[in-house]
Amino acid sequence: MHLGYGTRVAWFPLNHRNNSTISRFQAFKSRGWVLSFQKVVTNEPGPAGPDFALSPVPTTGLKQTAEVCLGSSPPCLETVDALRVLDLSKSFRSGFLRKPIRGIDGVSFSVPRGRVFALLGHNGAGKTTTINCILDLVHPDRGQVNILGMPHGDCAVRSRVGYLPERPYFFEHLTGRELLNFYAKLLGVQDGDRNRRIGELSAKLGFESYLGRRLKKYSKGMLQRIGIAQALLGDPELLILDEPMSGLDPMGRREIRELLLEMKEQGKTIILSSHIVPDIEQMADTVAILREGRMVMIRDLADLGAGASFEITLDGNERMVAEDVEVLSETLVRSRHENRTVNRIQTRSTGLEDLYLSVHYRKEAVR
Amino acid sequence: MMGNISALAMSTFLETVRDRIFYLVGVFGFLMLSSTAILSPLTIGAQGKIMVDVGLAGMAIIGLLVVIFVGSGMVRKELDKGTILTILAKPVGRREYLVGKFLGLNLTLLTMLAIMGMIFLFMTFLAPGTFSLHFVKAFYLTFLELTLINAAVVFFSTSVSPILAAVFSLGVFLVGHMSESIRDFGQMQGDGFQQKMADVVYYMIPNLEVFNVRGAVVHGDPVTWQHLSMATVYGLGWTLLLLLLAGSIFSRKELRG
Repeated sequence: MHLGYGTRVAWFPLNHRNNSTISRFQAFKSRGWVLSFQKVVTNEPGPAGPDFALSPVPTTGLKQTAEVCLGSSPPCLETVDALRVLDLSKSFRSGFLRKPIRGIDGVSFSVPRGRVFALLGHNGAGKTTTINCILDLVHPDRGQVNILGMPHGDCAVRSRVGYLPERPYFFEHLTGRELLNFYAKLLGVQDGDRNRRIGELSAKLGFESYLGRRLKKYSKGMLQRIGIAQALLGDPELLILDEPMSGLDPMGRREIRELLLEMKEQGKTIILSSHIVPDIEQMADTVAILREGRMVMIRDLADLGAGASFEITLDGNERMVAEDVEVLSETLVRSRHENRTVNRIQTRSTGLEDLYLSVHYRKEAVR
Repeated sequence: MMGNISALAMSTFLETVRDRIFYLVGVFGFLMLSSTAILSPLTIGAQGKIMVDVGLAGMAIIGLLVVIFVGSGMVRKELDKGTILTILAKPVGRREYLVGKFLGLNLTLLTMLAIMGMIFLFMTFLAPGTFSLHFVKAFYLTFLELTLINAAVVFFSTSVSPILAAVFSLGVFLVGHMSESIRDFGQMQGDGFQQKMADVVYYMIPNLEVFNVRGAVVHGDPVTWQHLSMATVYGLGWTLLLLLLAGSIFSRKELRG
């Protein structure tokens, strides 16, 4: 973990690292903060050596950050998250009257280095808009984005980021090798390294024998692989992949999944968007659920499955899922107001799919 | 920066070349042959002039077609299909991207004009008493004119649809060749408003007649080096202005995947 601009860090002198310190961290955790009791590697002078670091769940926002930092001494340092997004909003104008349509609204999150962070939501939920705003391909109306400690508008930071868009399309008259050479030049990969890197990636992604063919002869799955290859060409620290499994057959999906897990083991940070729950469950550490442009929930996948959810069967055999007692209570109250009969309530273990469905069914955002 | 621009220019050049754009050179060859075989016998004593006239006009028109129809869809196609997203997610500035695309198409144009120029020189060499190295000056000015039109196409394609970009660019080409006449017409009217409007058109639209020395070359009139250098400064000045405006619009553009 590196120190710098980004994640807030509470600073506790060594001699204060006792039960009361631990209990303070536990208190933060219960309020939705993810705490990691790692040593912070830092060159910053501290009063008493190694310190605790904590990585906040970003939806808590600045107010809570300030609260957490209160009483820490020295007040707080900030570590470099791979990505920090704060209050990102974007609307688009459409139609003759140029009516504004909400793309995303108030999206905030941060991704510590080395984590796999997934954006989950159905089509039109705002996943691609969020990614486009992060990469400054779309200029946000409001909000801040920091990539690897630098503002997202800084062109230089993009050499450290790999990006795969949804449904990638490339120059169809170039060969695979020419295309990857082109991207490698844009990334400033040295002449000597270029061929080696292209060879390695094409072998790993299984399109080595297609390198000499023009892209218009590539299948959809093959184009997806070359899209992933161009994202990995510059050996990026942060990978942003918009629907990386799209267009791949089961074998291809497994290969890409294994590749991404390998990247994770190498310490790369991965942001991926998908509406396919099993893909996320197998790869992600943290998932953020988007609905109608708003981020309605962020959860660590490790925390899922520990609790229980409830399946509610209403009259007409309509089924709903409530992921906790609070939601169950809300649903029951609503059913009563709507004069619906609850036929059955069943407990079940909470998986990501249940969580996603429950968020989808709920009218009010839960944060 | 230069590395990015040259990479973008080369990829654009390869794309356009492999998109069978050079078939148009065949059309030019056919035009030259037909002007020799069909038109020349009809013009007793002026066969050479007809060939030169048709050849130089053919080069300009084919070049114009390439610039307008390839250029107008070039940026838009990449915007619509999302190719641009993977490029601009790399350390590439938006202005660099535009300049790279512009130079790539200009390289295609230069290559086409060079091939057509060689065919032209070869044909005039075969026709007795027609060949002149002054033709190269006409090629050069045609290239400058089309470079300016290419910049206009890039400018329009950053803000409007390919069809509108093509129509507007063609409009610049046509009005640009008439701007002197429009100004003279305004002055003849004597009316203050009409004269001012004609002046506005004259100064807002590049005067493309500066680059038209085809008539002079056909008739063997001299094209001075002074004219060539002034036309170069004028053409590059307009090109730079249009590219700066295009860059300014494009840097604020939303790129939706």
